[in-house]
Amino acid sequence: MSNADASVRPLTIAERLGKVAYRNQGRSAATPHIVVDTAICNSTCPHQCTTYMCPANCYTLDDVGKVHFQFEDCIECGTCMYACDQGAVAWSYPDPETGRGVNWNAG
Amino acid sequence: MDERFDCIIVGGGIAGLSAAITLARANVRFLLVERGEWSGAKNVSGGVLWGRDLATLVPNYWEDEDAAFERYVAHRRLTFMDDGAAFSLDFKSNHFDEAPYSGVTVLRSRFDAWLAGKAQEAIDASSVADESLIATDVLVRELIVEDGKVCGIRAGEDAFYADSVILAEGVNNLLTRQVGLQTEYVPATGLAVGVKEVIRFDAKVLEDRFQLSGRRGMSNEFVGYATDGVEGGGFLYTNRDSVSVGLVLGMEDLRRSRKKPYDLLNGFKQHPVVADALRGGEVLEYSAKVVSTGDLRAMPKEVYGEGVLVAGEAANLVLNAGRAIQGMDFAMRSGMLAAETVIEAVRAKDFSTAIFTHYRTALDASYVMQDLRGFQDAVKVLHSPEMFTAVPRLVCDFGREFFTVDNRPTKKAWQILRDVRKEHLSYWDLVKLGAKASRAL
Repeated sequence: MSNADASVRPLTIAERLGKVAYRNQGRSAATPHIVVDTAICNSTCPHQCTTYMCPANCYTLDDVGKVHFQFEDCIECGTCMYACDQGAVAWSYPDPETGRGVNWNAG
Repeated sequence: MDERFDCIIVGGGIAGLSAAITLARANVRFLLVERGEWSGAKNVSGGVLWGRDLATLVPNYWEDEDAAFERYVAHRRLTFMDDGAAFSLDFKSNHFDEAPYSGVTVLRSRFDAWLAGKAQEAIDASSVADESLIATDVLVRELIVEDGKVCGIRAGEDAFYADSVILAEGVNNLLTRQVGLQTEYVPATGLAVGVKEVIRFDAKVLEDRFQLSGRRGMSNEFVGYATDGVEGGGFLYTNRDSVSVGLVLGMEDLRRSRKKPYDLLNGFKQHPVVADALRGGEVLEYSAKVVSTGDLRAMPKEVYGEGVLVAGEAANLVLNAGRAIQGMDFAMRSGMLAAETVIEAVRAKDFSTAIFTHYRTALDASYVMQDLRGFQDAVKVLHSPEMFTAVPRLVCDFGREFFTVDNRPTKKAWQILRDVRKEHLSYWDLVKLGAKASRAL
């Protein structure tokens, strides 16, 4: 199989998120719609599952294995709210005016 | 605004807009609020809208040049795959060409926007055109509850009141949880993650590649290698000038697997059969969505409460029983039924729970709950590990041997089946699975 075409070449998550239209990109500071208590992720959590389950890679592990969260790339799917069974994720929808979030072109 | 509406609908997706159109036609005064910049801006689906309810909501929609469905499903395929092979059940029939079609592919950002236009037309044609309203960019923070009864919504600094509220807020049903119809924390059991890409082609290339003509389209579901051993399946649907390709992954099993949904999507797209279908396309959009699986245990405790009705995926009304992934049609029907109960309440001037139970009765009597209840065993069988590991491998091994001519004495089909079965499943496992599947499906 030739994998030369863009449609079959594996896309990185960064390339994929590059194709998502986000709201309020011009705003210098957007209000976070998800708040994560990473102290839980980095102390008692046995799986840190959001770091691989989040489809937008908003949860990442650093060099020393600590979880970090950013909401800017969030595509509002809700996965982390169910995946986290440790009570670390406080989930809500982004504010239309001050928040971030998506505008799907195809959906 | 201090006037009181007959009904407030939260969510301008398929359930909410179906309710809106139904209410407008009965001259009921309502406010529909949608948090997206337009209806569809926040919506993602696989997506095929199955069944014929769309023709009830928008009569003769297929004659409308601007109707924002992509293609009607005229060709269906179910594919079992291992790492190198794909064995498909393939069905094409001219009966699919008869309108109203029994399934249309959609891209929600466009489809919902069009359906919202139809809802506005229905409002304009009603006798209460000045008193009903569709408002976008409005996020509901909370429901207003007085004396245990839902009587409005709070959005930003504003409060809006109504005699009834239809929650059509989608799977992430925060308001349904606020009023205690759904538990505060919903565990991953019974839920899945969907990831998808929309890949663009010239319409001519698409039509030649998939042997489509006019508005004919194809739906293809995949089980097996598609998900690399994780519970779930894949899909590929043709749109007008793009395909929707993606995976639906059981959330608990994904957590256990430690795999990333977008890596699995890359693997699926690289399978020879899928790669052949996608060659030369341009990825337009990547999206993701939490999907209900049809497991009744994930449903809200009840679909109505005091002053409130829950419709669509806010009530986890989705079913994959092996024949089709149904959700948008359930949303449409439940939205219509919720609206009919509101109409009944408006006419009787009685918004008591006694009337709201009629929504439950109507939903139970409809195909939505009949199928959700009737196919619970199918949901269990489809989620058993054999169905996405041993079974597709067995089917593909059978295909490899059955379809290969190598100028040696040829085995009979039953001999091939016997031999490949041994490699993948114990005899008793196969018998048990076969018996379960034949009853359940």
